[in-house]
Amino acid sequence: STVPPSAYLPDPFSPSSSSDSELSDDDDAEIEPIDEQEIYDLISPISDPEHPLTLGSLSVVNLPDIFLTPTFPEKGSSSPLTTLTVLITPTITHCSLATVIGLGVRVRLEQALPPRFRVDVRIKEGTHSTAEQVNRQLGDKERVAAALENGTLMGVLRKMLEGCENGAG
Amino acid sequence: MPSVFSFPRISQLATLEPSSPSRAWLTAPHPTLPLLATCSSDKTVRIYSLTTFTLLSTITGGHKRSIRTCAWKPNLKGESVLATGSFDASVGIWRHYDNDMSPKPKEVLSGLDFDARDKAIANGEMGENAEEDDEEEWRFAIVLDGHESEVKSVAWSTGGNLLATCSRDKSVWIWEEVGEDDYETIAVMQEHEGDVKCVAWHPEEELLASASYDDDVRLWREDVDDWGCCGVLRGHGSTVWCVAWEGVVPEIFGDVEDGQKDLKEMWVKRREASGPRLMSCSDDLSIRVWRRRPKEKVQQSRLSIIRSGSSEEDWIEEVQLPKAHSRPIYAIAWSKSGRVVSTGGDGAIVVYEERWKKGSIDPKSKKTGDQTNGVDGEQ
Repeated sequence: STVPPSAYLPDPFSPSSSSDSELSDDDDAEIEPIDEQEIYDLISPISDPEHPLTLGSLSVVNLPDIFLTPTFPEKGSSSPLTTLTVLITPTITHCSLATVIGLGVRVRLEQALPPRFRVDVRIKEGTHSTAEQVNRQLGDKERVAAALENGTLMGVLRKMLEGCENGAG
Repeated sequence: MPSVFSFPRISQLATLEPSSPSRAWLTAPHPTLPLLATCSSDKTVRIYSLTTFTLLSTITGGHKRSIRTCAWKPNLKGESVLATGSFDASVGIWRHYDNDMSPKPKEVLSGLDFDARDKAIANGEMGENAEEDDEEEWRFAIVLDGHESEVKSVAWSTGGNLLATCSRDKSVWIWEEVGEDDYETIAVMQEHEGDVKCVAWHPEEELLASASYDDDVRLWREDVDDWGCCGVLRGHGSTVWCVAWEGVVPEIFGDVEDGQKDLKEMWVKRREASGPRLMSCSDDLSIRVWRRRPKEKVQQSRLSIIRSGSSEEDWIEEVQLPKAHSRPIYAIAWSKSGRVVSTGGDGAIVVYEERWKKGSIDPKSKKTGDQTNGVDGEQ
């Protein structure tokens, strides 16, 4: 079985009614800034697919490896688009589950963040033998979307994200 | 950015509603009728009217996963045929008689076309019976099975007799319609080393272009009896997401100064010899325009001895469009007037126009319009 589409924010590329209401609810339409620590708090409780340990405790995700930058720096505050880059450090350099971990981080962030965020999840340089291959897969909108339609994989991801649902409410 | 060009603004004309509750992967305008098909991850295709901007029908029940792509068959009269490609690895063919395609009263009611509504009321068409056949309008004709994984793109040849499909399974298939709702596989081409993201037919030749995760664009044509790769366009540094052909008629753009008339003539001649150009866009944030190097007569007489060389295409990169996107560029299109539009992960829609560059031999492309649309609530 797959996760119903409403359970996550699947698409950073399409308009989302929830973000519209979110923006219009706010009288001065001010976008609440989100910092690196908040991003870390969103993803650190994700559990490793193999161990009963969190990505935070295994140092797979680390605060200094989270970067928030404006997507259009030349437009200044007229564009609310923000690029979020998360570099993950696999526990071993040939970890076969690096893609699944990366996908879990990406799904978690797209669930939790408003769609003005463009999320890039990559392997930290020099920490994995097939980093380039994994990075390309994680950056491919169609491969990610297809993965989320895969019931078996979605089951694994749901399990990884169980701790987050409780922690982040 | 200082510029001598005025940047026209693009404004939103309408929102097509009701929309799909989940990701809309692609929209395809009908070749002749004011209709638009959108395919979605909710496994449906929605057909909207481009005169009333209302939903006319929803095609459901054919695919088990996301419908990634669809294409209208060209050159039909009285009937519309739509091909759909899905992440479930199958391709569907759907048919519909055009006279059923007028807006149904219930849509007219919520639409902008009050005249049509009044007419419908006057004719006594406003009733329950109008809704009866709503889902029956589109008839499922045939499913084309063969791909092993997600189908990414489908394209009809200009004549409409050939259908090209491509997939994450790295293959490009060509199907021929041999009878009513009867299709035969005439080629399976597997030279790409990664997902094939897009296929597009040359507007006047049976020449197919494909774009891939392996960073290459390939060209395919039939040589004697076999379809095969006749060219590889290399240059992109990452996934090539989309390829698009220029229209058949070369458009002459902008005014030239007196001293440049010869150059313009040269350009027109070269364009006629090369034929329509090909454009490609990529994850590497570039859009490239490719031009065929026409074969010289001398070469052709030599090639008649070496048979295998006769179908080889010689293409060069003519120009890269000015950089305007900050995230992967997913889609490009060439308008009939020669303009180019692109969009990508950054939510920007960019329009380009080709212009004569002062004092240069080659016309270069100039970005003239840059408008970020409210893809995610951006103002």
